[in-house]
Parts: sequence; C-alpha cells; structure tokens
Amino acid sequence: MLPKFASVIAKTREEALSWLSSLENPRIIAGGTDLMVKMRAGKQYSHVIDVAGVPELLTMTETDGRLSVGSAMTHARLSTSEPIIRNARSLALACGLVGSPQIRNMGTIGGNLANASPAADSIPPLLIHDAVLVLESKETRRRVPLEEVIVAPYVTSIDRKELLGSVEINPLRGYREGYRRVAKRATWAISRLGVAFAIKEDKGRFTDVKLAIGSCTPMPFRPKKVEDLLKGAEKNEAIITEAIRMALEEIKLISGIRPSYAYKLPVLKGILEEVLRG
Amino acid sequence: MFIGQDITRVDALDKVLGTAAFAHDLKNNTMLFACVVRSSRPHAMIRKIDASAALALDGVVKVLSHKDIPGENLFGAIKKDQPFLAEGRVRYKGEAILVVVGVTEEIARKASGLVEIEYEDLEYISDPFLSMRSAILIHDGGNLLSHRKVIKGDAGKGFESSDVVVENTYSTTWIDHAYMETEAGIGYTDERGHIVVASSTQNIHYKMKEIARLLAIPPEQVRVVQATTGGGFGGKLDVTVEGYIALAVYHTKRPVVMRYTREESFLGHTKRHPLYIEYKTGAGKDGNLTAVEVNIIGDTGPYISYGETVCLRAAVHATGPYEVPNVLVNSRMFYTNNPVSGAMRGFGVPQLALAHESQLDEIAERIGMDPLDIRMKNALKRGSLTATSQVLHHSAGLLETLKGIEPFWRARRKQGPGSGFGLGCMYYGIGNTGISNPSSCYLTFTPEGRVEMHSGVCDIGQGSDTVLLQILCDALGMEEMGIDLVRGDTDTSLDAGSTSASRQTYISGMAVCNAAQKMREYLEGQGYYSGKPLKDICREAAEKGLPVFKGHFDPPTTAPDPETSQGAPYATYAFATHMTEVHVDEVTGVCKAVKVHAAHDVGRAINVSNVKGQIYGGVAMGVGLALMEEFIPGKTESFDNYYLPTSMDMPEVEAIVVEDREPTGPFGAKGVGEPALIPQAAAIVNAIKDATGVRMRQLPCDIERLKLALEKNKIK
Amino acid sequence: MKTISFVLNGKKTSIEVDDNETLLGALRERLGITSVKEGCGIGECGTCTVLVDDEPHYSCLTLASKANGRDIKTVEYLSSSGVLHPLQEAFIKSGAVQCGYCTPGMLLCAYSLLLKNADPDARDIKEAISGNLCRCTGYIQIEEAIKNAAEICKCDR
Repeated sequence: MLPKFASVIAKTREEALSWLSSLENPRIIAGGTDLMVKMRAGKQYSHVIDVAGVPELLTMTETDGRLSVGSAMTHARLSTSEPIIRNARSLALACGLVGSPQIRNMGTIGGNLANASPAADSIPPLLIHDAVLVLESKETRRRVPLEEVIVAPYVTSIDRKELLGSVEINPLRGYREGYRRVAKRATWAISRLGVAFAIKEDKGRFTDVKLAIGSCTPMPFRPKKVEDLLKGAEKNEAIITEAIRMALEEIKLISGIRPSYAYKLPVLKGILEEVLRG
Repeated sequence: MFIGQDITRVDALDKVLGTAAFAHDLKNNTMLFACVVRSSRPHAMIRKIDASAALALDGVVKVLSHKDIPGENLFGAIKKDQPFLAEGRVRYKGEAILVVVGVTEEIARKASGLVEIEYEDLEYISDPFLSMRSAILIHDGGNLLSHRKVIKGDAGKGFESSDVVVENTYSTTWIDHAYMETEAGIGYTDERGHIVVASSTQNIHYKMKEIARLLAIPPEQVRVVQATTGGGFGGKLDVTVEGYIALAVYHTKRPVVMRYTREESFLGHTKRHPLYIEYKTGAGKDGNLTAVEVNIIGDTGPYISYGETVCLRAAVHATGPYEVPNVLVNSRMFYTNNPVSGAMRGFGVPQLALAHESQLDEIAERIGMDPLDIRMKNALKRGSLTATSQVLHHSAGLLETLKGIEPFWRARRKQGPGSGFGLGCMYYGIGNTGISNPSSCYLTFTPEGRVEMHSGVCDIGQGSDTVLLQILCDALGMEEMGIDLVRGDTDTSLDAGSTSASRQTYISGMAVCNAAQKMREYLEGQGYYSGKPLKDICREAAEKGLPVFKGHFDPPTTAPDPETSQGAPYATYAFATHMTEVHVDEVTGVCKAVKVHAAHDVGRAINVSNVKGQIYGGVAMGVGLALMEEFIPGKTESFDNYYLPTSMDMPEVEAIVVEDREPTGPFGAKGVGEPALIPQAAAIVNAIKDATGVRMRQLPCDIERLKLALEKNKIK
Repeated sequence: MKTISFVLNGKKTSIEVDDNETLLGALRERLGITSVKEGCGIGECGTCTVLVDDEPHYSCLTLASKANGRDIKTVEYLSSSGVLHPLQEAFIKSGAVQCGYCTPGMLLCAYSLLLKNADPDARDIKEAISGNLCRCTGYIQIEEAIKNAAEICKCDR
C-alpha cells in the first residue's frame, strides 16, 4: 500500500517543469522501480509527476560528436540500442544487467541516476563516457558533469524543481570497452562490484585507459591517477600491478577500511588484472 | 493403467487459466481485513499497550489481544507452547501481540501502525551457545528444549580400531520457505453458526482442532478448507493466519480476510533450523566406516514448533545412508530469541547431509579411494542395519542410484580451471519419526454413477491430488478416470494428516488403497467386473443409501528408545544420489552449478513427470541452500535481500528414477518431496572442493565466503 | 481519482482509479483479475507480471494511471478466444505447473518472448523468465514447456 499522493501525468517537458515549479513537494516518477519501493516503505510526497511518456525525454540525438540520451529511456531500450552499443558498449552491457527483464522494461537511465545508488550499474559506464547531465527547471538550464551531481549515496545535487532531461555522453570508438560486475546471484541482483573500462592500446602501449568502479566507495568513481599512470605506459605486468595497487590505495583513501573490503578488494584486484591484461 | 503414466495434473488447467482460487482471491468487498501487530523486540516484557489511537481511527472495528481469546491461548504442532497473542512477554522479533480488524486493508494496516507498545527489554539470547550458558531462561523449564541420543555399538572402540579419523565442524543458517504465495485466508460464520476458515495450508484437520481450542468450541463447529495453496515446504504446517481469522470472525461476527505481506511472512513464520554440527568419522584403510560420532547443536527459537522433531530426525539420520557399526549422536536443541525454527523440507536432514557427505569425501581422500567407490562400499542395502539398528527388509535402492550415477561419474572430465564434480547421497525416513501418523479417507459413489473420493490431503502444489486419483483408479481397476474428487475440506473428509515428511503418496496412498480394496469387494459383488455398468450399480444403491468405504493406514514403526533411539522409526526409506558439476570463478568467488545428475529411489513413480518436477525443484532449493540463501534475523526483510535461485542460476538437471518397489507402499511407491533437496547442497560443496581444493563447512557458501576461503587457501 | 482508459485483454476498458493506486491493485480490486498476484510488492518476485504493450512489467511497481492509453494483457488474454493457447497446453503437458502461483506471470513472459522470437534457444528462454521466481519447479519443466510451445506455434504459422 502506498501513502496518499496526487499524481499528474506530464505530456510535455514544459508541463513537467511547470508542475515542478508550482507543486509543493513533488517527485518525478518515470519507471517507478525505485520510487514505488521507497513510497511503499513509507516515503511521502504530495505529488508525483509522471514523465515516462514525455517525448523529449525519450529521444536520442547525436550532436557535435556527443550523444544525448533522453532520461526516460529504459534500460531495455538502451541495452539493445544500436548507437549505444556502437558508441558506449559498457553502458549497453550495464543496462542489460540491471535488475530483471521487467525492471529493464520499466526502469530508466534518468531514474537510475537520480536514485544515485552506490551500486547503480549505469553509473560507472557513464563516468568513463564523461557524462554530463542536463538539468532544467522552469527558469534555468544547466549542464553538470555526473561526478558533480552525485554528492553522497542516494543524494544528488538535482534541485527539487529541476528535471533531469537528458544525459550527454562522449562516444568512445576504437576502445576495448566493457562492464564487469559481480553479484550474489546470476541475475536480478544488486552489484557487489562493477567495473566499467575502455582501453586503447597501440604497439604494446596503453594509449588511453578509462576506468570506473562502482559498488565499492560511497559513489562510483574514476581512479584518475591510475588512468594517468597507464596512459602512454608500456603494457607489462609491473605497470599493471602498480596501477592496481594505486587503485586499491585510492579506495582505502576514500572510504577507509570497510568490512566488505575483505571480499571486494581481492575481487577488484582480480577483475582489474583481467581487464588491463585484456 | 494409470500408475507410472504422466497423467495431467487435475489442478493444472485452472492454474494456467489463472482461475485457481488462492486464499486471497476468495476475498470480497464485504470482508473486514485483519492484520497483526508484532513485537519489534527480540526479548522483552510488555509494559503497556496503548491502542487508543488505532481504535479512534475511522473504520477500525476491533483491536484484539490475548484477553479476547475465549479458549486456550497456546498452539503448537507437537506441544502447545506458543501463544497466539503474546501475554506480557515477547520472545522473538515478530511475535504476534494484537490483531487489528478494520473495514479495509488500508485502514487495518494504518491502525496497526498507530498502536503504541512500551517494552522493557530482556537479555537477547542470540544463539544456542549463549542459551546453554545463560541464567536468563526463555521458558521456566530451562533453555534446553530437547536432547536426543543415538547409541549403537561402541563409538570409542570403533575409533580405536579405525585407520583414519576425520573430525570437523559444520554450520548452517536460517532458511526461509519462500513459497511464492504468502500466508492468507478468509473466514466467516456459516448458516449453522460454524466458524469457517479457508486458508493456504498444509493440514486442515490440525488447524480445525487448533481453532476449536482457541475459541473453546467443539471441533465439529469449525470447518477448515484448503484454498489453492501456493507452496508450503513446511512453513504452512504451523498455524499462521487461521487462528487470527477465526478470532476476528468470532468477535466481529463478520467475514474476515487476512494476507501477509512478504515482509510479514519473512518476519512471522518459521525457518529452517540453523545447526552447528561437530562430526567425527572413523574408517579402515579399506574404506569401511567403523564409527561416527556427531554432536548437533540447534537453534530452535523461542517456541517448539517442530524443534523436537528436527532434533530427533537429524539424530537418527546423522550417519547418512551408510552402514556404521558404532554410532554416538548427541542432538540438542536450545531455545533462543531468534525466529521460531520449525519444519522445512527435510527436517534437519539436509543440514546433516552437508556434514556426512563432506566427511565421507575427506575419508576417501585420506585413503586414496574414489568418492563413488567409498559410497558403494558403505551403502545401506536390503538386510542392512541402520544407525538405529533397524533392519531394512524391503526397498533400499541406494546402490541402484549410485549405479545410475556411475557412468556419468566415471566419464567426468574437468572443463578447465574452476571445474569440479561432487557427489551427495542421502536416505530419508518416510513419515513421522517413530510415532503414529495415520491417514484416513473415504470413498463413495454419486447417484449418477461416478466414484467419489473424499480426501483430506492438502495438495500444496506437489501433485498429491493427481497421484491419489491415479492410485485409486488402478486400485479399482478402472479404465478411465471416472472419479470425482472432493478434497481439502474438514466437513467432507477424514483426517489425512499433514502434507509433510514426504508422507502423502506413501501413507495417504495406502489409505486410498485400503478404501479401494473395500469398494472393490463391493463392486465385485455387484457385478461391476463382469460388466455391469457403474451407473446401474449406483442407481440401485442410491435407493438404499450410497455405501461409504473408509480407508486407513498407519505405517508400522516403533518408538525410538528414549536413551539410544534404537528402533524402527520409519516403515520405509527413500534413497538418492546426486552428482553435481560446478564452475567456480576464483577471481570473484562465484560458483555456478552447471549440471546435476539426480538419481532417486522412489519405490515406484506413480507419476514420472511429477517425480521429476519434485527432483528439479529440490535441486533448485539445494542450489539456494548451498550458495545463496541466508535469513539474517533483524536484517532480512524481503526478496531484495533474500535471494532465491532464478532460472539463470539453475543447472541442467538429468533425473534418474530408480524403482526398488516397497511392498508396504501403494503399488510400491515411497516418497520423493524432501529427498529431492537433501543431497544437493552436499554435492555442490564436494564439487567446490574438487574444483578449488577448498572445503567449505559453512552454508551458504556465497560468493563472499567462498572468495575469502580461496584467498586463505592461497596464503596457505 | 482519475479515469483511465486502456485495452485490457483486447477489450476497451475505462475505470476510476486513485492517484496512489497500483496497476496490480486496480486489476485485482476493481476489475476482479485475480490471476495477477502480489508475491512481494517490491518487484522482486514476478507474480504480478502483466504485459504493457506486450512487454512484461511488474504491476506492483506500476501506477494504475500509467495504464492509460496502453494495451494491458493478463493471462486471461491467452485463452480469450475460448481455446487454450499452445503455451497453456504445453505448461499442462510438460508438468510446468506445481503450486501455480508463478504460472500466470511465467506464461505472460513466455508469450512476450514468442512474439519477439519465434525460435528461442535455451538461453533466450531462461532469460525471458529470469524476472519471475518459482520455488517449486526449478524452472526446468517451464522451460521445456516454452520450448515445446514455440515448436507448435512455428508449425501453426
């Protein structure tokens, strides 16, 4: 049973923005796969604004070499979308691993971001694609890098009058790209660890390395120092070992020592070894 | 012939149409909704209950406490020790305190949230080791619920004469039945003034008696009907919603519906017992087992439920299906303030199978023997003596199940690193342990000329309705299924006992055979078998009143000796061997069960498709038990943090049906429901050892436990 | 309250629903479609599965108002012509039904799969039902039933 609230169905972006600005304690709903669970557990809003059918949020466009993904696009659509598979393979893979088929048919990329779970599968791939979120209110429009939007586990800097309209990503071509994750069940499970990677190599050297690690620190993150170390370096066991050591150090620096690290750090080490060795 | 045929299940059509009426589907808009207010503390005195805000809410009809119980406020399948509604003290988190009845579910639930309860916390007895030491008594009689021993031969001498002795400890955790349908039911007063409850249940007659005691009315004035039941696995044996519904109907005089949310279901119902098992095995160089000593310590929670049953059954099955001349088992159950542990598929035996199968593999490894050979060498067979010195006179097909697995075992080839194979064997006594557990039924005719079977057996999805009809058709020598089934209703059936202990095919099947024998004699006399149509026989008989043929069966058992448990606690045993292939990813600790061969001696497969369905489902539950399922009191709330295996977690399964016919069973049949699960977790754990060299002694062996063990092993 | 109009099992339907009502609640309470079950209420079991425009969704996590203008199918649709769908036949024949609580959701996922993929392999089938828990069958006979039904549907084409 859900608490009482009023719901409105937005037909356009403008309509959604205008409700966001005028209603007292509104919440955007798209797929509902996170929000409905929270509301069933007692979370209360005066209004929910359903944006799942807003056409502007359901489109994907390519401009200036960047790909703009409508926030109400479902995981199912993204996981099978040809442009996503071509330009952001890790994102397609991650979206294909979210929840179950039903969850993927319902849940949206925007919802996954707004929920800001440390274990959200879509976030590490978006990080390596330098995702920028387009946040709009009735009066304002701003473009904010994903890293800056998620400020704490389950907390974002999205204003309650703002709508997450789209996510812009940098396509990566010519990279060995993927998403590895570990969960307690073969499918339909929260990630215990997720690693998105995109690696370019040439003649025995790493020419570019992008990594993002999820479910490990309060917010998924990119170990930029590790990326810098590897960039241009000769590919050998010594540099891979050093890179992994740095990555693990950085995690401990971010979060201190957590009980779960007894499991996660050795696993991350193993996954990074596999990923970097290729 | 219907026996051995894949007869279509009688309930399948309604279920694929979506028209099968589960308990909550029986609800209508005239019904009040009742819900339970539960303790938020594991152990506390209740100092004050303030329900005024709940009562003040518009639409709240009643708030009922223990004071509103006209009869006895205690229930229990074996002993009456658990309050329907707590009186002054709560002993586990989730214990029922009040029943709130409202005109809608929304109102009742909202009101239940408005009840204020003041507690004074008592020490939380969080495990059996604390329980055995603590001065805090959960019940006046002390914290030890039960201590059962199995003593055969002289274990001490047995170990002295052993060439190799292996000693280890094993532990398992709480498992939830996790039936897809949560507990639900409806109730009303009928035109006779009787209280009627229709619910999701594994036993209607037991619940009828409990409701009668609760309300202090004669059982004849209570009618319990089994609604279509969405799985049980032991969790719907204890009284769940039935008592509360009956109490609410009694006080409001209006129809009432109840349904647990998944969260309430997790909180409210019993669990599989966590067992701590110290196990010592001795053997000769030739692989012959010489002695077994087992010390079992169980956490039964604060009320008995089936705790004593599990204590004893785990003890008598502790050696596994092997001939062991010297046995010493100490099995003890302690009260704690954890969830009530009760009956769950296998009653403690799956936990013991983990231990005895791991031990046997270690013995084999130490003496350089093949795991299959050591099992064949020690296997119980016809004429063998069990750990309770029971002679197996009849069906005992363990060797045949091993032989069924043998070609696959001998041909096994590891598929690269991380690949491994393991075996698990089991035996399981069909029916209750060393006590009378009869089943009755009756047969009659309809005036139109059809046989009518009145059955009190609860089909909880395993297919007993279909199987009993198959048995009856063959017992009567009928050529088509001209039988009307009148089922699952205390008003129209005799007590068949619970759907538990894998007993319905064997025991209720024999009761049906017994009634059929009488009907057959009657039909013989009426000329049915020489060609007289049943229609004519019934038409003539209807004038004098249609005859009724009662059937009854109580398997011959002996009560275990109170000191040594020696005796014949079961009339027959089922046997099985599973072989599981796993793949372990050493980087992540993920173990995938890849392929299972499961050979089961079922005596006789009445319905092969049903038998296979039980085996596949048992394997799935075994995969969960071995690799992922863990109920953590205070933490686990729903399926988001209690993982059941999905289709993607399931191995390929090849079922091998072995039929060593049991002369005391219906057409040779025994049972398969629990056996299907029992050896699987053990086979997985043995396969993990084969794959990685790591021996896991604690379940579940989830990705984290396995990875940590692999890391530790690397350092070693 | 809102009035919503949608196609339910091939028929145009209009009902009033509360703003905070789930599609599961509306189907069970207002339309008497009790084949849709609540096994958990949080999208973790699959017994509430319905098809929205032929794709499986959890109706427990779907606001009823979201059904407006959509095509909603429950298991009743499969036999709405008066005969059993080959999937239903196959479920019965293959022993895919035990307690039956997951069955409607399983059938709907299988139906949706066969619409998109007439010749699913074992992995496709496993994936299609991977958002629906079953505690009884171990899924194997369900998968066999879907495979068998796919063969029959192919022949019918």
